[in-house]
Amino acid sequence: MSDALGLSALPRLVTQPMAVFKALSESAPEGHRVFFQLILPLSLIPPVLAYVGGSAFGWRLGGGEPLMMPAQSLTLISLAYFFAMVFGLVSSAAVSAWMAATYGAQRAFGTHLALAGLVAAPVILASAAHLAPHVFINMLVLIPALIWSLYLLYRGLPEALAIPPERGMLMATALAGYLLVAIVSLLGITVALWSGGIGPAIGV
Amino acid sequence: MEAVSPSPSDAPPLPKPTGGKAVAADRAAGGTAGERYHDRVASWLTAFAMAWSIIGMTAGVYVAAELVWPTIDFGREWLSYGRLRTLHTNAVIFGFGVSALMGTAFYSVQRTCHVPLFAPRLAWFCALAWQAGVLAGGISLLAGWNGGKEYAELEWPFDIAITVVWVCFAIVFFGTIAKRRIKPIYVSNWFYGGLIIVIAMLHLVNSLAIPVTLSKSYSLFAGAQDAIVQWWYGHNAVGFLLTGGFLGMLYYFLPKHAGRPIWSYRLSIVAFWAFTYSYIWAGPHHLHYNAVPEWVQSLGMVMSLVLLAPSWATLVNGVMTVAGAWEKLRTDPALKFIVLSLAFYGLATFEGPMMSIRSVNVVSHFTDWTIGHVHSGALGWNAMITFGAFYFLVPRLMGASLHSVRLANIHFWLALAGTMLYILAMWGAGVSQGLLWLSLDDIGELSFSFKDIMASMAPYYALRLVAGLIFLSGALLMAYNLAMTGKGRRTVAASPPATAAA
Ligand code: HEM
Ligand code: HEM
Repeated sequence: MSDALGLSALPRLVTQPMAVFKALSESAPEGHRVFFQLILPLSLIPPVLAYVGGSAFGWRLGGGEPLMMPAQSLTLISLAYFFAMVFGLVSSAAVSAWMAATYGAQRAFGTHLALAGLVAAPVILASAAHLAPHVFINMLVLIPALIWSLYLLYRGLPEALAIPPERGMLMATALAGYLLVAIVSLLGITVALWSGGIGPAIGV
Repeated sequence: MEAVSPSPSDAPPLPKPTGGKAVAADRAAGGTAGERYHDRVASWLTAFAMAWSIIGMTAGVYVAAELVWPTIDFGREWLSYGRLRTLHTNAVIFGFGVSALMGTAFYSVQRTCHVPLFAPRLAWFCALAWQAGVLAGGISLLAGWNGGKEYAELEWPFDIAITVVWVCFAIVFFGTIAKRRIKPIYVSNWFYGGLIIVIAMLHLVNSLAIPVTLSKSYSLFAGAQDAIVQWWYGHNAVGFLLTGGFLGMLYYFLPKHAGRPIWSYRLSIVAFWAFTYSYIWAGPHHLHYNAVPEWVQSLGMVMSLVLLAPSWATLVNGVMTVAGAWEKLRTDPALKFIVLSLAFYGLATFEGPMMSIRSVNVVSHFTDWTIGHVHSGALGWNAMITFGAFYFLVPRLMGASLHSVRLANIHFWLALAGTMLYILAMWGAGVSQGLLWLSLDDIGELSFSFKDIMASMAPYYALRLVAGLIFLSGALLMAYNLAMTGKGRRTVAASPPATAAA
C-alpha cells in the first residue's frame, strides 16, 4: 500500500477528499497491509481515548454524579470497544466486497477495507471528544464528523471503486443500511447482556 | 399459466407518459371508447396529504420543543403536550398516511386493472369526507376529547364516521378490481386490499364502546383483555397501514420508476401471505412483563422474530429491482427517495423483531429507543417512500416536468440528515435512560432519580428538535416544488390502454 493511503492520508480527507479516494482506486492495496497500517491504528484511537477520559474524569451520562468506574471494568469496556471497532470496519468491508458483484464494483479486498477505514476516519478522529467524557460535548463533536463521514461514503465510494455515481449511490445506501442494522444489533446485544447480568448492575 | 401468475413484465404496465400527445395517441387508437381514468381525485388526495404532512410534522416539532422547554404551552390546554402529541400522531398517520395511501391506491388500481375507478363519485365522497373527518377529529383532540386508546383516540362519533368512509373506500377499490380487464391481480393491489380489509376489522373490534355522552365513551373490554385488544389493533395498524399499505405503494411505484419488473414476482406474493399471516400474532410484544399470560407474550415474541423473514424478503426484492436500474437515477430524482426508504425499512423491520425479544424489551420499553424505532419507520420509510412516490406522481398527473430537480435533490439530503439525527439522538437517549433508570447501587437502591434523568435528556431532545426542523424544512421545500409544478394546471386526462385484453 502506498503511503498515500496510510494514516498520513487522513488530513487530506478534509482538504482534498476526492484525491484520496482516487488514489485508492488507482492502487490495489493488499488486505493485510491495509489492516495493519490503517484499520488497526484507527481502531485503537477511540478506546484508548475513552479509557483516558473515563479514568481521569468519569463518564457523565447525566443524572447526577459522573460515573467513576474501577480500572478493571474500564479496561474491559475499552477492550470491547476496540473489538467492536475492528469488527465494524472489517465487516463493513466484507459486506461491501460481497455486495460489489451486484453493483459492478468488484475490487481487491484491500480496496474495500481501505474504503471502510477512510470513510469512518472522521468519526474516529472526532472521538478525541472522549477525553472530555460528557455526553453533550461528545454529541456536539461527533455529529458534524458523522455528517462528513456520510458525505465521504456517498461521494468517495463511486470514486474509490470506479463505478458511476448513480450505482455508487445505490451501493452507498445499501452500506448505510447495513451500518444502521449493525449499530442497532450492537445496542440490542449490549442490552440483552445487561439483562442477563453481565455488565452494570441493573434491576431487572 | 400466463393468466394465473402474472409474468412480471406485464405487471404493472410499463411507464406510460400521460402528456397530451400520448393521450391523443391513445384516443386515436380508440380501443376504449373515450374512457378516462379518474385522476383528479388522486391529485387532490396528494395535495391533502402534503398539507397534513406539514401540519402533523409541525405539531411533532412543537411537541419536540416542549420536551426541551416545558413551559411553551403557555398554560393553554390545547397547546399542552398531551393534546398536541395526539394531534401529531393522528395528523401524520390518518391525515398524511391514509390520504397518501388512498390517493396512490386510486391512481394505481386503475392502471393495474386497465379500467377507470368503479363509482367515481363515491371515490370523491371518500376523499373529501376523510379530510373533513380528520380535520374535525384533530380539533376534537385539541378540545380534549379522547377515548384513551393510542392511535384510536377519536371518540365514538368519529369512529362511526370512519367506518362509513372506510366501507366506501372498500367499495370503490374492490369494485374496480372486480371490473378489471387484466386477469391477474397485481401484487400492489394485494397489499392495498389487505390494508382495507384488516383496518376495517381492527377498527370495528377495537372501537366497540358504550357511549356515555357525545364526547365520552367506555371500551367494551376491560383490564388485560382491553390491553390485548388495543395492541392487537395498535400493532396491526402499524403492520397493515404503515408497513403493508406502504408496501403496496412500493410495489407499484418502484417498478414504475425503475422501468423494469419486480425482481421476483413469486417472492413478492409468497412474502405477502407470510407477512399477513405472521403479523396478526405479534401484538403482545407491546405488553411484555405486563398482566397478560406469559405464553401470550412468548407467542408475540416468536411471531415477531418470524416476521423478519417476509419483511426482508420484500427488502431483497426491492433492492434487487433497483440494482439493475441504476441508470434511471440520472434522470429521476425521486428514485433516490425510494432507494433510501428501503434502507430504513430494512432497519425498522430488523430493529422491531429485536426489540420484541423480552430481555431487550425489558430495557428498551418506556425509553426513547421506542420513539427512535417509530421514527426510523415513520420518517425513513413512510415519509420517504411517499415523497418518492409524489415526486413521480405529481408531474405525471399535471402533465408537466418537476418545477425544480435541484430543490428535490436538496430535499433528499435534508430528509436523510433529519432522519439519521433523529434516530441517533433517540438511540442515545433510549440506551442512557434504560441504563440510568435501572442502575442499582451497592445496597440495591436505584442509583438515580427519575427527575434527574429526565433533566439530563435535554441535549438529546434538543438534537431531536433540530432533526425535526431539518426534516420539516425538506417537506416544505417539497410542498413548494410540487405546488409550482402544478400551478395553473389541471390534472391531465389519461385513458386505459386500447389493447387491453378483455
Ligand atoms: C417486523 C417488523 C416490526 C416489528 C416486529 C416491530 C416491533 C416493535 C416493538 C417490539 C415495539 C416496542 C413495543 C414496546 O416496547 O412498547 C414497536 C413499537 C412501535 N413500532 Fe414497530 N416493529 C416492526 C416494524 C415497524 C415499522 C415498519 C413501523 C413503521 C412505522 C413500526 C412502528 C412502530 C410504532 C409506531 C411503535 C410504537 C407503539 C407505541 O405507541 O408504543 N414498527 N415495534
Ligand atoms: C418533523 C418530523 C417529526 C417530529 C419532530 C416528530 C416528533 C415526535 C415527538 C416529539 C413525539 C413524542 C415522543 C415522546 O412522547 O417521547 C412523536 C411521537 C410519534 N410520532 Fe412523530 N415526529 C415527526 C414525524 C412523524 C411522522 C412523519 C410520523 C408518521 C408517519 C410520526 C409518527 C409518530 C408516532 C406514531 C408517535 C408515537 C410514538 C409512540 O407512542 O411510541 N412522526 N413524534
